[in-house]
Amino acid sequence: MKKIISLAVASTLTCGITFAKEIKVGAVMPMSGPIAQYGQVCYLGLELANKLQPTLKNGDTIKIVLADNKGDKVETATATTRLISSDNVVAILGALTSTNTAQTIAIAEKKKVPVIASVATNDKLTAKREYANRVCFTDSFQGEVVANYAISQGYKTAVVVVDQAQVYSLGLAKAFEHAFKAKGGKILEKIKVTSGDKDFKAVVSQIKQLNPDFMFLPLYHPEASMIARQSKQLGVNKPMFSGDGVANQTFIDLGGDAVEGYMFTDFFDYTNPPSKTSADFVAFHEKETGKKEVNSFTALGADTYNILIDAMNRCEDPTDSVCINQKIKETKNFDGVSGMISIDKEGNSTRSAVIKEVKDGKMVYKATVNP
Amino acid sequence: MDVLTFFQQMVNGFSLGSMYALIAIGYTMVYGVLRLINFAHGDIMMVGAFLGYTFMEVFQLPFTLSILLAVVVSSLLGIFMDKIAYKPLREAPKISLLITAIGISFFLENAFTVFAGGVPRAFPVPSYMENVINVANITFSVSSITVPLVTLVLLLGILYVLYKTKYGMAIRALSFDIKTVNLMGIDANLIISIVFALGSALAAVGGLFWAINYPSVEPMMGVLVGLKAFAAAVVGGIGSVTGAVIGGFIIGFTEVVVIAFFPELGGYKDAFAFVFLILVLLFKPTGIMGEDLEKSRF
Repeated sequence: MKKIISLAVASTLTCGITFAKEIKVGAVMPMSGPIAQYGQVCYLGLELANKLQPTLKNGDTIKIVLADNKGDKVETATATTRLISSDNVVAILGALTSTNTAQTIAIAEKKKVPVIASVATNDKLTAKREYANRVCFTDSFQGEVVANYAISQGYKTAVVVVDQAQVYSLGLAKAFEHAFKAKGGKILEKIKVTSGDKDFKAVVSQIKQLNPDFMFLPLYHPEASMIARQSKQLGVNKPMFSGDGVANQTFIDLGGDAVEGYMFTDFFDYTNPPSKTSADFVAFHEKETGKKEVNSFTALGADTYNILIDAMNRCEDPTDSVCINQKIKETKNFDGVSGMISIDKEGNSTRSAVIKEVKDGKMVYKATVNP
Repeated sequence: MDVLTFFQQMVNGFSLGSMYALIAIGYTMVYGVLRLINFAHGDIMMVGAFLGYTFMEVFQLPFTLSILLAVVVSSLLGIFMDKIAYKPLREAPKISLLITAIGISFFLENAFTVFAGGVPRAFPVPSYMENVINVANITFSVSSITVPLVTLVLLLGILYVLYKTKYGMAIRALSFDIKTVNLMGIDANLIISIVFALGSALAAVGGLFWAINYPSVEPMMGVLVGLKAFAAAVVGGIGSVTGAVIGGFIIGFTEVVVIAFFPELGGYKDAFAFVFLILVLLFKPTGIMGEDLEKSRF
């Protein structure tokens, strides 16, 4: 009897060694709450990328462990800690907004777990952090793109409405102001609002009185859509421009007619896939979801996953987080879904931006801006 | 600031304030009768807006009918809430009631998050509500002028019920002493149900107007509005219906004035509502229209 048991134990052990391992990768995303839209489309990207490429070169399978942060800072911290300490993930993808990603990075940094942010654009996120990386551009680049556009259209004066509760908004506003002033533009007023506000009639009346050439609204879609609607109601007809925070269908649903002509910067346009990898992903997306439109957050979500897998493949031990982190930072000219991505030593990526406009309730591609 | 912008801002404040006022009336009425600050009130407002959305989008009912149904169902929900959560606690200390109210508030928020998801949905507003009226270069939408009118009509209606009807007399009597009123042959539970129905209906109207003016609905929409309406009720003198309306306008105007005169401080406008609350509690704890605690609550 003893022999049989020991034989059984031995055989299971050897089997365990020869069988491929399952490696866990964490994802922190707002799947519910006010900005759930972002998390849901971004997570779709992870899921699809995972379906396309479920294993590493050595045969290990990748399992994504999802934690919902409800778009909240405290929930993000809890979720990150849980993923690292109880799920033992080798890396964390996401946290979406800059405010929340900052929380994730702060915790992961201490535990030496690499983070790849999908759409967190705040400049300071990766500063002095060794384990922070991103696939999106930074706000200073995005702000400059908007400022250049405004100047090229002959707009001389601007009003900026900034959401003081969001790091993303503050950073983007600052970058725009800096670039716009440097090119001879004038900021007439900077009006502060708080996310969650619904009534912007006082703000819009203020803008009407100031009569700027251009409105820059570095906000998320719930606030930006309300400002657009109330501007229409109060008869303010100025060109409105936002960052990537409004690049989703909910923005158009909430804004209705009022967001016609609204412009924004984005990362990716599915109607102009920059490479074959990208076109293939768009096709796969349509096959899986039945929808042609690929949200840019979905593309970036897929890229966080693909770059991570690429880095893991280049490590001898794909669970060695120090090595993974180093390889992520050595990513050069990676053929991503959202375009060519290179990641530098600071963890920031060099990539192009896309300018889009809302036309007939659709996001329409206008131009690609290279760094 | 020119005169035009000033008047424009006053119109803005008026329309915002009347929405707070609508919701504050419900707070004040329930408090007047039960001495309960019904923290679930803001969430009833959210439920009202969601019901309107559901009737229109899911059942494809016409706008006016959906609004009416939403108000009726919300007031039934108010009665139901009282029956299952507050009635068993009539004899319990007030703090238990308060904790229950917070519990219901969380329950409603999370239940709606489960069923409706957290993504804000666009509220279908009929186009005539969004038409813009321009009077001497001051512009406002039809919806933002409808709210103050409806608030006024409802305020007068509530005052009529309170002071000219038998039930109103019973409600006022109840606000003095529930036990004695029971001895006088009045069904206190029935009266309390009426108060909850009226309060919830007003909250639903407030929520529907909120959704019409800012066309999106999401499960957390009632949280901050509810708190501000509560501040409005206290500033006006909790227990006083007229006070609630005045308090609502004060909070609404404060927000607008902060943005209009100090755009740099605009992000802190929510804080100003609560600064008012603190000041009132410090210097006139019973609020602007609040009378001696011994007198009638309405």
